[in-house]
Amino acid sequence: MLTASWHGLQALLDPTSMLFMSIGVLFGVLIGILPGLGGIAAMALILPFSLSLDPVAALAMLLGAHVATIFGSSITSILFNIPGASKSIALCFDGYPMTQKGEGARALGAAAMASLIGGLIGAIFLTLTLPLMKAIMMALGPPEYFVMALWGLSVIALFSSGSLLKGLTAAGFGLLLSFVGMDPVSATSRYTFGTLFLMDGLDFAVVVIGLFAISEMIKLYITGGSIVKEQKTSEMGNVWTGVRDVFIHWKLVLRSSLLGLFIGALPGVGASIGGIAAYGMAAQTSKTKESFGTGNIEGVIAPEATNAANEGGGLVPTLGFGIPGGESMAILLSAFIVMGITPGRDMLENHMDLVFSIVWIIVVANILTTIGGLLLAKHLVKITTLPSSILIPVLLPVCLVGSYAIKGRIGDVLVAVIFGFIGYIMDKYKYSRADMAIGMVLGLMLERYMHISIKLYGNLFFVTRPVTLILLLVVLSTLFFPFIRSFFSKKQTVDESGVQ
Amino acid sequence: MFKKKSLILIFAILLIMSLVTACGQKAQEPAQKEEVKEQVKEKVKEKDITLIVPNTPGKGMDTYARMIVPYIEKHYPGAKITVKNIVGAGGVIGINQLWQSKPDGLTFAFTSFPSVLLAELSGSEGVQFEATKFTYLGRAATEPRVFAVGGKSEFNSIEDLAKAGRPIKFPSQGMDEDFFTAAVMAESMGFELNQITGYEGNADTALAVIKGEGDGHITALGDADPMIKAGDKKPLLMFAPERVAEYPDVPTALEVTTGEGQNFMKVITNMLEVHRSFFGPPGMDPEVTREFRAAVAKALADPELIDKAAKANNPITFMEGERLQQKVDEIAATAEKIKGTLAKALADIK
Repeated sequence: MLTASWHGLQALLDPTSMLFMSIGVLFGVLIGILPGLGGIAAMALILPFSLSLDPVAALAMLLGAHVATIFGSSITSILFNIPGASKSIALCFDGYPMTQKGEGARALGAAAMASLIGGLIGAIFLTLTLPLMKAIMMALGPPEYFVMALWGLSVIALFSSGSLLKGLTAAGFGLLLSFVGMDPVSATSRYTFGTLFLMDGLDFAVVVIGLFAISEMIKLYITGGSIVKEQKTSEMGNVWTGVRDVFIHWKLVLRSSLLGLFIGALPGVGASIGGIAAYGMAAQTSKTKESFGTGNIEGVIAPEATNAANEGGGLVPTLGFGIPGGESMAILLSAFIVMGITPGRDMLENHMDLVFSIVWIIVVANILTTIGGLLLAKHLVKITTLPSSILIPVLLPVCLVGSYAIKGRIGDVLVAVIFGFIGYIMDKYKYSRADMAIGMVLGLMLERYMHISIKLYGNLFFVTRPVTLILLLVVLSTLFFPFIRSFFSKKQTVDESGVQ
Repeated sequence: MFKKKSLILIFAILLIMSLVTACGQKAQEPAQKEEVKEQVKEKVKEKDITLIVPNTPGKGMDTYARMIVPYIEKHYPGAKITVKNIVGAGGVIGINQLWQSKPDGLTFAFTSFPSVLLAELSGSEGVQFEATKFTYLGRAATEPRVFAVGGKSEFNSIEDLAKAGRPIKFPSQGMDEDFFTAAVMAESMGFELNQITGYEGNADTALAVIKGEGDGHITALGDADPMIKAGDKKPLLMFAPERVAEYPDVPTALEVTTGEGQNFMKVITNMLEVHRSFFGPPGMDPEVTREFRAAVAKALADPELIDKAAKANNPITFMEGERLQQKVDEIAATAEKIKGTLAKALADIK
């Protein structure tokens, strides 16, 4: 085991491999910065160039690009409220408010460091627990995925502290939108108004660009000024403060990373859910819950660590069975096959050094990305201090091009603009956009796995399967926790006022 | 001063990047308009041809198309081919565009024939075309499809399915060729089928079968091969004109059926055999068709391409345009037979 790991590292430390990994990382950060395009686009674009390289160099370039997109996406989420990829949406919830408070550099520093540690923990635990992860993957099925989606939905309670009704309305709107298009179970088209365009549904990445980024441009245009509302020159605006924050919250980082690894190992549970689930977990366990959504550093650290660790988890089904754990893994798999490596049992038995090379690539690519990120953060933050008259003309075209580039359909640009206005109105009247996004991510997953579960195990699947039942009870208890908490805290304030 | 400069630099990089990505993905679009202008000027010698690929850029079908295109250009004097990915509604939008385009040999398409045919036969929304009326130019590739069960499954042969005494659980994405193939297969072989639709893709259904959630699924042999070799899956039936050399003990769908059932499986086998093909709009000029078919034939026989294709694990199994057209005509004559089964399969999941 150790020798295989050493061989894997040796193969990677070859100058050619390192060179191509650096190219991949650079490319990945750039792609990540562009709204809508994430790791999948980066890998698909770089794949043709990698095929003539030797396996380790090719994998270094591909995976390097993929890993780097995570931090690249986080940069724009934090600084401009533009989710560079749909899975970094949770970074907008607290990262952008931090930028507005003048703590953008701190948020970037924390994100870079959390990404590094999350990636490392993901890779190390993947190596140590591969057989265990494989067993978990085999044990959990559609009913459990359904309950997990339900859990994700319960996160909306967090954003609804102002008005529960408004929160539910927003989430309901998100659920409704997720049902637009072809129903995956019965192949019936819904809410398409007879158009073929809507048959493919509303693309989540496009909607999110409108909802968060374009609406922010509208707001900026109306209010004027720049993104940063108050300047903090002192410690709080410093990159290294952010790095330190990660180590202060090391328990959170560890928990989030393990969550990311776990979610990554389950094919069918999307990565965008990972970030949201981590955010919810961070908020529920935090000592400063109230400040979530207004720029809490923990709300940046948790999703970033989860996203980084997710990559390691995605390798479990890919390495274990040759089944891609996600779309990006599908591209990696096709690269494997071209290189003459058969993923699955054969790989685990005969190419263990290559498996370790992959793990090491994730580690080293994370280190490269983080170093680059920490050096760049200070300069990137300066952009947010620019006046809106300069910022909007630059960012708006990037958003529109991004929404076009996702699928190459001009109609998507219109969708993004429409949701820009919807997002602006929602924000103005305090309907949580985060709730809506969560509803949209989880809608199809809930529907899909509920139907599959019923068909496989009958209408009472959540009672008859013990694992499902336990998970469901856990979800219900976390769901009612905020209500119980607010009930008790109200009682307490009543008591206190009674004493006076 | 210096700060300002670096800011401007960052902006410039951002803009250039977004431009590069946009152009990289869709460089075809602006070029397209110029092409139209040129056509008006009747530059006959330069042929600006559009290849519609109704599939996602970068995925299997698109990779195949882009791999072959340079070789058609090489063997078709004057041809300049632009690949245009028109995705949406399961490829229906792109194929509709081909159906409406002029049969002048300047527009053609490349995709999976079964999905085009089945979209039509099952009455998918928005379909304007008749799949068998297109002008077929040549097949690039086909591969056997396999019905496989999980490695720990109770079933060891295709006959076991009929004896099971319960519906066979078939995880499926719904509405794709494997969904319809399974429906026809169950009908011809007389076993009960419970199609569990809603799975997200081939990877998901494969995992469901390995885990034992579902009994079996249909997939390309190339995809299933490593899992079969690792013992995670057992192959029970092949959809191919004859037995696959590598699996001499696995019968084909044609062997295990008789009478009307066999006729059903013939339609399916023929249909799957056409698979990844080039085709143009209906009623193309015979002279242009002949030239085009010859160019496709030469391209697909180019040793350089064959070598490249084998290395990329996207092998070429060429079929000549004229023979392909005959196959399609055969399918057209018999396809009506399975229409009832398809309608029933759809009704079952609604």
